[in-house]
Amino acid sequence: MSKHLLKFTVNGRDHALVVESHERLLDVLRDRLGLKGTKEGCSTGDCGICGVIMDGKLVNSCLVLAIQARNKKITTIEAIGTAQNLHPLQREFIKFNAAQCGFCIPAMILASKNLLDHNPSPTDEEIKEAIRGTLCRCTGYQSIVRAVKAAALEMKKR
Amino acid sequence: MLRRFDMYVPENIDELLSYLDDHQSGVQLIANGSDLINRIQRRQIEARILVDLSGLTEFNYVKKENGTIRIGALTTIQDLISSSVLGRHYDVFRDVASKFGGPAIVNVATVGGNICAASSSEDLIPVLLVLGARVRVRSKKGERVLGIEDFLTGKRQTAILPNEILIETMFNELEDQSACAFEKIGMRNSLIIAFLNCSVFLKVSKESKRIEEIKIAMNRISEKIPSRATKTEAALRGNLLTKEQVENAITSLKSELRLTSDFRTSKEYRQDVAPVLFKRTLIKCSERLGDKLLV
Repeated sequence: MSKHLLKFTVNGRDHALVVESHERLLDVLRDRLGLKGTKEGCSTGDCGICGVIMDGKLVNSCLVLAIQARNKKITTIEAIGTAQNLHPLQREFIKFNAAQCGFCIPAMILASKNLLDHNPSPTDEEIKEAIRGTLCRCTGYQSIVRAVKAAALEMKKR
Repeated sequence: MLRRFDMYVPENIDELLSYLDDHQSGVQLIANGSDLINRIQRRQIEARILVDLSGLTEFNYVKKENGTIRIGALTTIQDLISSSVLGRHYDVFRDVASKFGGPAIVNVATVGGNICAASSSEDLIPVLLVLGARVRVRSKKGERVLGIEDFLTGKRQTAILPNEILIETMFNELEDQSACAFEKIGMRNSLIIAFLNCSVFLKVSKESKRIEEIKIAMNRISEKIPSRATKTEAALRGNLLTKEQVENAITSLKSELRLTSDFRTSKEYRQDVAPVLFKRTLIKCSERLGDKLLV
């Protein structure tokens, strides 16, 4: 009973793997699938650094048991842009110096992307609301908010 | 990596209820885990077997039927506030959600999980107390309905039997001339665990503007669990909401509070902010009734 067959989709690819009861989604993403872009911060759901998108909703992957992600669609930072073709959010984060140490950025980008997926023209307040569970200890958030706003404009032009 | 445990994943509700009937000790139910996984890490959960409820999506609903609002136990806080059933009259749930946690918590934390966690920091509990909510539990043998106050028997303790699960919570629709509000104070604006929380239900007479009914619940009336400030309610009932009455109510509330210091904050801080928090919630609640009530 402690082993379960986990079928789920990560970044558009279907996976089926045997997981143990106590494994978290975070553990499976990083250690089984090698997707190290998702970071482990506090492990208690306070910092939001392990954020991924599950079925269109931002979740903390440290608080999701792997088996509870069965039949779900997961998006991690690895699916956002490529080195040659960055996502508008990534480009604007660079332009606005919205990343310093960078540790929170995978989750920050995903929280922002999830916002823009549901709300293409967010106000500053809505952006702050969307990223309020994702702690950044370097930037003071102002540059992040500006970058998300710029990315929203950029994405609308397309 | 968490400490090891086994997990049982039921296919459906019948399978779950049969399993619980056969395994009446050593199991712990888990919904989406936003609180429970922390408690596993802190070794506060002794059970060796977790029973996964997250797949029972039929218990994620908000319905209005014959004057009763029914909320499925697996409804997430986000789904609760997004529900078209709960209009502006139920902004109290948006009060809760706005200070409940970041989006990643609000997206997974469930109404049933908040009730069953039964601690002084569960924000939905004061609201359900002032709404006079009931809960429905189900076992293989049938269902029973309990008042929320009877359901919550102590800190981390409920009246649920080992073979039962919480199905839904329900309360009567808010009438005209009545409103409800919630406020809390904690360390951090986005992911607050409440130092103090407060919910107020208010019903006033349309003509005289006197308080027909008031219910006040805070998490530190009892040391153990959120509960009602019944003496303060009685002091206000039948009166106009004047500044003087509010000051009297605050004096009464102070005598009802059982404040202590803990690792979150001090008794003294709680003493100072409790009246402010109560007043803030009361004002918010009265503003929802439209008229300028507080004179």
